[in-house]
Amino acid sequence: MSQVRRLGIVAVLVGVLAAAVAGCGSSSGGNSVIIRGTTDQPVSYDPAGAYDLPSYDVIYALYQNLMTIPAGQSTPVPEAASKCEYTDNSNQTYQCTLKPNLKFSDGTPLTSKDVVFSFERNVKIADPNGGSSLLANMKSVEAKGPDTVIFHLKEPDATWPFILTTGSAAIVPDSYPADKLQSSNNVIGSGRYALQSYDPGTQTVLTKSDSYTGSDPAKNDKVIIQYYKTSSDLALALKNGEVNIAYRSLSPTDLDSLKNQSGIQIVSGNGIEIRYLVFNENLQPGATAAQKLAIRQAVAYTVDRQAIASKVYDGTVTPLYSMVPQGLKYATKPFDTLYGASPNVAKAKQTLEKAGVKTPVPMEIWYTPSHYGPVSADEYAEIRSQLNDSGLFNVTLKSTEWNQYSTAAFTDKYPVYQLGWFPDYPDADDYTASFYSKDSFLNDHYSNPEMEKLLAQEKASTNDSERAKAFSQIQDIGAKDAPTIPIWQGKQVAAAQDDIHGIELTFDPSFIFRYWLISKG
Amino acid sequence: MTRSHETSLRTYLLTRLALAIPTVLILLTMVFLLMRVAPGNPIQAALGGHVPQAQIAKREHRAGYDRPILTQYVEYLKDALTLNLGNSLTDHTPVTSIITDNGAATVELTVAAFLVAVVVGVSIGLVAGRYRDTPWDVGGRLFGIIIYAAPVFFLGFLAQLVFADLLGWLPVSGRASPEVTATLSQHTHFFLIDTLINGDFNAFWDCVLHLILPATTLGLVTSGVIIRLVRVNLMQTMKGDYVEAARARGVRERRVVIHHAFRNALVPVVTVAGLQLALLLGGAILTEETFNWPGIGAQLVRYLNERDYIAVQGIITVFALAVVAVSVLIDLVNAFIDPRVRYS
Repeated sequence: MSQVRRLGIVAVLVGVLAAAVAGCGSSSGGNSVIIRGTTDQPVSYDPAGAYDLPSYDVIYALYQNLMTIPAGQSTPVPEAASKCEYTDNSNQTYQCTLKPNLKFSDGTPLTSKDVVFSFERNVKIADPNGGSSLLANMKSVEAKGPDTVIFHLKEPDATWPFILTTGSAAIVPDSYPADKLQSSNNVIGSGRYALQSYDPGTQTVLTKSDSYTGSDPAKNDKVIIQYYKTSSDLALALKNGEVNIAYRSLSPTDLDSLKNQSGIQIVSGNGIEIRYLVFNENLQPGATAAQKLAIRQAVAYTVDRQAIASKVYDGTVTPLYSMVPQGLKYATKPFDTLYGASPNVAKAKQTLEKAGVKTPVPMEIWYTPSHYGPVSADEYAEIRSQLNDSGLFNVTLKSTEWNQYSTAAFTDKYPVYQLGWFPDYPDADDYTASFYSKDSFLNDHYSNPEMEKLLAQEKASTNDSERAKAFSQIQDIGAKDAPTIPIWQGKQVAAAQDDIHGIELTFDPSFIFRYWLISKG
Repeated sequence: MTRSHETSLRTYLLTRLALAIPTVLILLTMVFLLMRVAPGNPIQAALGGHVPQAQIAKREHRAGYDRPILTQYVEYLKDALTLNLGNSLTDHTPVTSIITDNGAATVELTVAAFLVAVVVGVSIGLVAGRYRDTPWDVGGRLFGIIIYAAPVFFLGFLAQLVFADLLGWLPVSGRASPEVTATLSQHTHFFLIDTLINGDFNAFWDCVLHLILPATTLGLVTSGVIIRLVRVNLMQTMKGDYVEAARARGVRERRVVIHHAFRNALVPVVTVAGLQLALLLGGAILTEETFNWPGIGAQLVRYLNERDYIAVQGIITVFALAVVAVSVLIDLVNAFIDPRVRYS
């Protein structure tokens, strides 16, 4: 091969490489295409098969609900309905009238028949991954004419309008199978978007729906949700311009690395995601009920939430002093009042001594290493060292992946364990009845008749002051009995390119990521 | 080819194909048994938390998990051989869809990695063997050992750090950028082919860029074996009488190496390279995880995490069958190019 020919080939290769490098990282969508990167993987886009945040995010974009919570607000308002109200004095009959001319994205009309079908099939399918438990209080649902739906409830329920806003209460067409889930890549709703494609683990593509008849259509034409395995991959994709928004979940380290990156903004807002410790009262250390209570209270005295928030999470979370997070109506701070905002080892020691508990108390604490983010291991190492350093506890940490964890934790396998909670609906009921009821999913064997009475009261009442009083007492009793100990409350934090707008509008306690509010340019 | 050559080749082919049957049977039996000796109830584990016992029993019945193990085994063999691999427990996707939707990504990655392995392995092996005991040889051997010993995920993270994060030259993960993936009209599920069919050269280039890091990482790890093999074989063939004869005839050294020694040195390399192709499928699982490459390996890890034993069993079955198929194919190629194989 001649020297000239060789040089020519080298020049071509260099040119091709240069073109490649120039082309790399410049593909983050046209003006009306929003690309969100996330590490959260959805379970199902059929409302009967979903009870998780990533699925709900897409369900809210694809479907309509009878009621919704508008951005920045905390009270349900009609969405597919023009009007919804209780029609009896006992809050057991709830009637909704549909708006006219509602259509699914395939052009078929949405009627009361579809609404009844949606609720009945959800209960019938009762998918283990679905949220049919949210509809447990529904005795029956009936259609009265093409535009009226009546719910008959088993017990008085002031939270029913909130239930109607959840992803599990989204309206599906009656062409869906009545007894099994619709495939996630073949779903149809009447929402602002239609599903273009869903490739599990890779991406979901939503396109603006022409059939949407609501008052606030999407501000973009297409949304691509791209899934990443790790927070660092997600952060890098944003840096390289592959995605416009990186949201859920960037680790504190990755967030920090993006803070000073030019062309990238960090958007944060109120969040009511919480983490807490659960005590299984049958398995936790302590010989008697009094000793068990003393041990729980001693842990509450000893845990340093501020240190966890600053050392482990770099200030991206805030200490939590009630199971009801700050930002929600009726939230108080009973753990602060009872146990103090800072650790009090002397009081913890005194409490244990009074109950006759020998120290150090051996305690096995379980956590799950990835389901709640990669920082869980650091968080629990910190909790262990706080408890052990007090000299009052001898903590052994154990962990397992979520699938085994979620089975074992709720079936009497773990004495003390980590859990997290995202809201089903932004009402204090979701943060109290779920944990303090004797039938709680936690299966922690906590039972307090006074608590049961108060929970029934708050659920039945639509009166604001009655509910406020009930919730205040519920939180006080919850802190005194401490079957669960709140640790922290997360902020909603996203990193996005500078020209992305609207994220701040959707960061509110409802935890709905409203794609339709996002615009570019 | 003479008549006796044809007969010997045919006999060899038939024997090799017949031997594949018990191999497949043993593999399938192992997959079946391994999936069942795992502790715990896979149906309950796959469904997660607080699921009523009645629901679990219903699912167990639907999955056939409540039947005698022998009945399950016979059913499994029948289903595996007809490629009826059932539906996954967690997302109800037919396993055959998982294979067809993600298989192309794995094949694309494996073939590209294989090319990298062969090109790098043969080139460095050739240089090391030709310039024995020189710095080139030492460098080549060292490279071969280090690259072979390096875990694929470590090399992958390193490559991501340098080429994606520090230099920003290449994408960090995925098979194509989000917009290309969203707009690509798929005909074969092979992105490189589909973009060419669509005549979209920008998309093609985007896919090439996404392929470079994972394919190079996986290919480099595999190239270590090939480097050492080519080097040793070349050194042996360089001592052959026909090489001496060529030199004595005054053939130039470069021609002696390339046309006489190297060609003969490649025969055993074909066998090993073929086996490496099968091993690459295993390596692809880790590479896919590292680079978020949406292939069967990544799906296998996902379903393993979810303890979805139907999906895992189906995917491993296909992997096992693929390895047997590649192995048989390599034997056939070997027999075709090297008569000693079929006569032995």
